[in-house]
Amino acid sequence: MIRTPLRPLARILSARDRGENPDAIERENIRRRHEDMQDRSRARAEGRLLVLGLFFFCAFTVVGARMGVIATAEPAEPLANAGGTPIAAQRGDIVDRNGHILATNFETHSLYAQPPILIDPEAAAKGLARIFPDLSEERLIKDFTGKRKFVWIKKKISPEQKQAVHDLGDPGLLFGAREMRLYPNGPLAAHVMGGASFGKEAVNAAEVIGTAGVEKQFDTYLRDPANAGKPLQLSLDLTVQAAAERVLYGGMKIMNAKGAASILMDVHTGEVISVVSLPDFDPNDRPRPPTSGFDPSVSPLFNRAVQGVYELGSTFKIFAAAQAMELGLVTPETIIDIRGPLRWGKFRISDFHYYGKELSVTKVIAKSSNIGTARMAQQIGAERQQKFLSALGFFDATPFEIVEASGGKPLLPPNWSELSAMTISYGHGLSASPMHLAAAYAAIANGGHYVAPTILRKEGPQYGPRVMSEEVAKASRTMLRQVVTEGSASMGEVPGYAVAGKTGTADKPKPRGGYYEDKVIATFATMFPAHDPRYVLVVTLDEPSENSGSEPRRTAGWTAVPVAAELIGRIAPLLGLRPDVEPKVLAGVTLTSSN
Amino acid sequence: MSYLEYNVKSTPSGLRKVLYLNWPLILLLCSVAGVGFLQLYSVAGGSLSPWAEPQMKRFILGLSVMLVVAMVPVWFWRNMSVAAYLISVVLLIAVELVGIEGKGAQRWIDIGFMRLQPSELMKITLIMLLAAYYDWLPGHRTSRPFWVLVPLVIILFPTYLVLRQPDLGTSILLITAGGGLMFLAGVHWAYFTAVIAAGIGLITAVFESRGTPWQLLKDYQYRRIDTFLDPASDPLGAGYHITQSKIALGSGGWTGRGFMQGTQSRLNFLPEKHTDFIFTTLAEEFGFVGGISLLALYMLIIIFCIATAMATRDRFSSLVTLGVAITFFLFFAVNMSMVMGLAPVVGVPLPMVSYGGSAMLVLMVGFGLVQSAHIHRPRGRN
Repeated sequence: MIRTPLRPLARILSARDRGENPDAIERENIRRRHEDMQDRSRARAEGRLLVLGLFFFCAFTVVGARMGVIATAEPAEPLANAGGTPIAAQRGDIVDRNGHILATNFETHSLYAQPPILIDPEAAAKGLARIFPDLSEERLIKDFTGKRKFVWIKKKISPEQKQAVHDLGDPGLLFGAREMRLYPNGPLAAHVMGGASFGKEAVNAAEVIGTAGVEKQFDTYLRDPANAGKPLQLSLDLTVQAAAERVLYGGMKIMNAKGAASILMDVHTGEVISVVSLPDFDPNDRPRPPTSGFDPSVSPLFNRAVQGVYELGSTFKIFAAAQAMELGLVTPETIIDIRGPLRWGKFRISDFHYYGKELSVTKVIAKSSNIGTARMAQQIGAERQQKFLSALGFFDATPFEIVEASGGKPLLPPNWSELSAMTISYGHGLSASPMHLAAAYAAIANGGHYVAPTILRKEGPQYGPRVMSEEVAKASRTMLRQVVTEGSASMGEVPGYAVAGKTGTADKPKPRGGYYEDKVIATFATMFPAHDPRYVLVVTLDEPSENSGSEPRRTAGWTAVPVAAELIGRIAPLLGLRPDVEPKVLAGVTLTSSN
Repeated sequence: MSYLEYNVKSTPSGLRKVLYLNWPLILLLCSVAGVGFLQLYSVAGGSLSPWAEPQMKRFILGLSVMLVVAMVPVWFWRNMSVAAYLISVVLLIAVELVGIEGKGAQRWIDIGFMRLQPSELMKITLIMLLAAYYDWLPGHRTSRPFWVLVPLVIILFPTYLVLRQPDLGTSILLITAGGGLMFLAGVHWAYFTAVIAAGIGLITAVFESRGTPWQLLKDYQYRRIDTFLDPASDPLGAGYHITQSKIALGSGGWTGRGFMQGTQSRLNFLPEKHTDFIFTTLAEEFGFVGGISLLALYMLIIIFCIATAMATRDRFSSLVTLGVAITFFLFFAVNMSMVMGLAPVVGVPLPMVSYGGSAMLVLMVGFGLVQSAHIHRPRGRN
């Protein structure tokens, strides 16, 4: 930078010569220099100002452009679950063997609140408490006025409730569409259905997951989008199931039982046509499981047919007789010594009544002699008995396809002694579920093949391995028929339908060992029509007591048998069985009619 | 060296000053405030209470304060700027102490008829002090490191105090306005380049380190930053206001739903509808046209400020005027960007329109300084 001197000598001298004040030159130069500096800093300031102006202009343009973009954009509600994985709500239907709906989906709404946008939280809480009496007003007010930004109020509401909430008119109360599981038949086949609840939940959808029964067993199948439109078909028959539940409920009440179970099974395919456990529940509103410290078998959720394992009593005797015949140890006419009591160490086996000194094998079964059966078991021996019962499925939980079935594992004696073999032969010392019994009786009924019980619709016979010969199975059926015609199950006769079966009355074990004297499990395992059985029916009553006589009668012959007879009378026509007359061959064996 | 050495006699004196006021600027301020009254009236559902009437009273008070400030010669304000700055700092510290006693983040002091926010006052006094500083500082020293450090301390100390309250919006405003003023004063480019580069480097480092073993912040801090930067990821939480205001803006369309016809804001979807988010009401009722018109009014105010700054001869006047313009610009630019989802939500009101006393009063004081500079500018180059 070239600086002009403030007092340039040449100009001062010439000014002095002219008589002017040289200070004026200095002042002039100072002013010039000031102006120069001012101009320079001004130029710089203006440059900076220009940059700022440009920046302002850009900002204005961006804001204005943005305003235009938003003004022209289509308004869209924001999606709360943006970014999350979509929830597949579609769940397959469940139908019975004839295609009738057992479980389906139903469009409903959830109700939730966003407290920050509630106009009047207290009024909203008051209104909600009026519409839903189970909600606490104080609790809602607390939720609405607190810091929470989101509150679930109801997981599913009816259209009427929705309208009522809508009429409250608060924009902070919001609805979300979702699907829920609906069981249109209510408590019908409740234990098979089990139930469903919500898994992952979002505002506009919810995942339905099975919590019990087939819903849980086939959860992956039902939720698989690949199966869309293909319902899960069960072996159940809705009409038979409804009749069975009705009759069994009446029987349970008349017999003063605290619980009851029945299983109707196709002996060739293993399909379970009806399975009932009482008391039951409504899967649409599944009750909570009982808390600990409380006997779970009292809960309505407990499935007596597949979960409950009981000593099934004399119904087991036919297995001893069948095996003894299969092994060639006896024929139906072989005479067995039944003088009692039968001693084994300090243990005594005796009969309920006195049946004389000796009985044929057929009569042992018909009269239900413990001593006679135990003598056959003695001849069979523990080892062979285990093999036979194992082949009939008594060593494992049944393969029945509802989740609860895996819990019905039989209780076996820890040490299978000869004494165990004797007591097990008449149904004590081994606990199994009614479903086990039905599967084992099906083997006798279908001519000697084991069939696995199934809840799924099957086509044609599903025979497993052979467990006894055709002849033995037929001879066993003949014995079982006699139980009804002249034995302990005389009340089991159904006009038009020949019923064969075996009763069983087992004392209930006390929780701490020993047996109750006045509490029994009464079971009747039957097959019909006796000459060519197509169905096995097992009826079990828990603590029945028939009080029409002078003293309570608890044996199966007085309790389970009449209930089973009523059941067969009602459901046989539904199954398409026509009343008919027994063929002569069997009629010839029947010596006398008991009534 | 100060340039306030021009002839005092050339400026108007006494009541004649009124004639020399920047009347177009006053008119513009009144129209913007009028828009505010209309919107507050509409938001209250067509009623003067609870917002429109107090706002009018405050505006009249602010207008009087502006005129008083305008009448006082601008060099008086230059001489008072150090004292004003110190008083603001003391008030900020006082609020801090009172706040601790009051168990909460208290930002204001009750002075009877209204509540005063020292942080708002700071916005003006900081500009005044910086302008006075550069007025005093000889031009060739402007970019010397020591003389750059001094204004930095002047800016950062009150910013720190405000940030502790915590008030992120005001802090950003203070830093940006102060930085802008330093830029206008002619501090060398290299300083700004260095600061911006360092800032970008730090932000990149913070984000690049995410997920690596040497990550600089905790995971939850990253998540907070995420929500802060992208409120749409949390539409019911942090993004709630943005979502609703975008809906309001969108539903306004080009010409709007008409005065008092806005649903989004009047149905209580927007809790801050009368303060920070009042622009959405305007955009919903008057649409794009209304929004752009308000923007144009703001732009005119800025242009008049710049014109005044260019007409003045001394550094203090021009820097104070531009400082007020920058502050005013930042107010509405940040507010509008925030409402339109261009910037994260920080509590910055829409100047002269949002309901609230302190911000308006402080801006009116600022415009009073602008007017004072306008009146007392030298006329002609003797």
